[in-house]
Amino acid sequence: MSVLEVLFSGQLLFAALLTASVYAIVAVGLNMTYGTMRLLNVAHGDLVMIGAYAAYWLFTGLGIAPLWSAIVVTLACALLGVLLYSGLLKNLMARAGGTARLEANSLLLFFGLSMIIQNVMVSVETATPRAYQYLSEIHRFGGLSMTGNRLAALAVAILACLAIAAFLRWNIFGLALRAVIERSDAARIVGVNVEQVHKVSLAIGFGAAGLAGVLISMMEQFSPFIGFSMTIAAFIVIILGGLGNIAAGFGAALILGLLETYGVALTSPTLRSVLLYGVFVLTLILLPQGLFRRRLGP
Amino acid sequence: MKTRRLFLRTALACASLVGALGMASAQAADPLRIGFSMSKTGPFAVAAQEQLAVYAMWKDEVNARGGMDVEGTKRKVEFVEYDNQSKPDVSVRIYEKLITDDKVDLLLAPWGTPFQIALTPVLEKYKFPVVGNTAASVALRQVKAGYIWFPTSAIPDQMAVELVKMMGEQKVKSAAIVSNILPFSKELKNALEPELKKAGIEIKYSTEYPPSIKDMTPIVAQVKNANPDAVLVLSYPSDSVLYSKQAHEVGISSPFQFVAVGPSTAAFRDAVGASANGVITMGHWSPKRTEWNGAKAFQENYVARYKHEPDYLNAALTYMSLQIMEQAVQKAGLNKEALRKTISSDTFDTINGKVKFQGVENVTTPVAFLQIQSGQLELVWPASIATSKFMRKTAQ
Repeated sequence: MSVLEVLFSGQLLFAALLTASVYAIVAVGLNMTYGTMRLLNVAHGDLVMIGAYAAYWLFTGLGIAPLWSAIVVTLACALLGVLLYSGLLKNLMARAGGTARLEANSLLLFFGLSMIIQNVMVSVETATPRAYQYLSEIHRFGGLSMTGNRLAALAVAILACLAIAAFLRWNIFGLALRAVIERSDAARIVGVNVEQVHKVSLAIGFGAAGLAGVLISMMEQFSPFIGFSMTIAAFIVIILGGLGNIAAGFGAALILGLLETYGVALTSPTLRSVLLYGVFVLTLILLPQGLFRRRLGP
Repeated sequence: MKTRRLFLRTALACASLVGALGMASAQAADPLRIGFSMSKTGPFAVAAQEQLAVYAMWKDEVNARGGMDVEGTKRKVEFVEYDNQSKPDVSVRIYEKLITDDKVDLLLAPWGTPFQIALTPVLEKYKFPVVGNTAASVALRQVKAGYIWFPTSAIPDQMAVELVKMMGEQKVKSAAIVSNILPFSKELKNALEPELKKAGIEIKYSTEYPPSIKDMTPIVAQVKNANPDAVLVLSYPSDSVLYSKQAHEVGISSPFQFVAVGPSTAAFRDAVGASANGVITMGHWSPKRTEWNGAKAFQENYVARYKHEPDYLNAALTYMSLQIMEQAVQKAGLNKEALRKTISSDTFDTINGKVKFQGVENVTTPVAFLQIQSGQLELVWPASIATSKFMRKTAQ
């Protein structure tokens, strides 16, 4: 394939968008928990894993189609976020004393949680990778062919991103959420219910992770250990975009998706990590605030 | 005074009687302690699953029939097992502990080539024989013969020769090679390239990829573009699934598609679905060869216990290693030297047929290939043990 063929290949564009949109919804949740609460949730990827297993159980056990169970799983994960906040995180944040301390404490807490979640899943489901067949027919449009489940996942992921973006842009609660991200103390002074915002952002973040899990389970094989690489990818996205900068996160996810597909197609698959981490490290050195620097600095 | 002496004497007698009884009962019920380390956590935990599952199943099977036969005495089996966190050096330390501290009677192999090779010096040092299983590499031949043996016949250089022979029979004129950069894939690639050249098969496209790959669309697009007669995917389990799904998506229609590691597992067929049909993979066992000792029963017991088919490669190799150990212990007992001699020289009757070792290698089991046909694994090469004929892969 020549360079032009690569650049104009619909197949590659489809793959890049799909990768990007999944990265985007995984990363948005991580970004929200960090942005509003300064919590470093390294167990975020494990939520994705739980979402994948939940969809698998609902599909193989009860015959519920993943596109339906996506709703149930998203809501359940959102609820889990709220419960975790009331039961554990609220206390942790009250006692932490200082952002740096909170970041460190939450890192350890979530690391521990991640280990527990993974090992519980191994004992429940064994480490054998799981997968199921759903919408596996191929749709062809000219030279472009797409598996049904990947097409559906792309559509749902883009819809989810748009919904979250719209919520943050136009909904009054979304605006409050952005206010807390930008100036937590100031938001409190002007009457924003910060605790409520924390709950909502965790609910959205966890829900998005669960949804990503459902989508991934439709397309790929998964095991209790997929979480870690998800967390890493999400961290790269949000650091590229700028920690706490939600909209920029979507842009960064797109860049990462394009890089992963076109970068590899134009160079060599062995350079995948060099490309991804290279851009990541360069960004950290040259633009430590992220590729898309926020206009409102602290 | 007299009473006191009498009391002492009675007490002493009682004590010795209890002691003797205790010893006697301990001897009769003395279980056979078998130790091993396994990658229960870490990057290889997924791959090590089937081996651990077969160990557990075998232990229950043996205990259900009264225990393991040690030169005529039945002894129940008890495992002493530790997690090696997927680290060969940790695994080595565990085996030293198993030998010197836990003082186990027998050892089973850890999962995987690097772990089994790393174990060899420890076995040499303590003169402790172990039957290897899930290891396959040309590097195995460099392992000093004596205390470890490898029942696999899927050694890359021999496999390359047979695979190219099979391609020749199918009139393959061109091929694409897609290879993971991990050691086993590289070995196979290095062995395949000269063989393909010798056979006059043109390599139309060749690429390597890292194990962290998440999207193979760029690769399968190139393969489709090259349109070769054969695609040789030298992959590991997770990328085997990724390749197969994405090759199906873009519609690669090469009639000969070899996918190295993974398609012998039930998980692969579950993940890939109907488009797995026609995939050729490495593997030399089949439950359909009913003349092999316990082949059918092994498959049935495994399916009953774990609700999915065993991996035709690793699960079968693991069970073979256990059968070999059992038969050797039955004959030679627990004396390490006698055991070593027996394993080195005897012929064993396993679920994969007769096995005899020369040095570290199994010299009786032929290099063989499996093909997925209507969702089932069939041996298609060589003809001497084939359970079905090769079928050309179709795009759908």
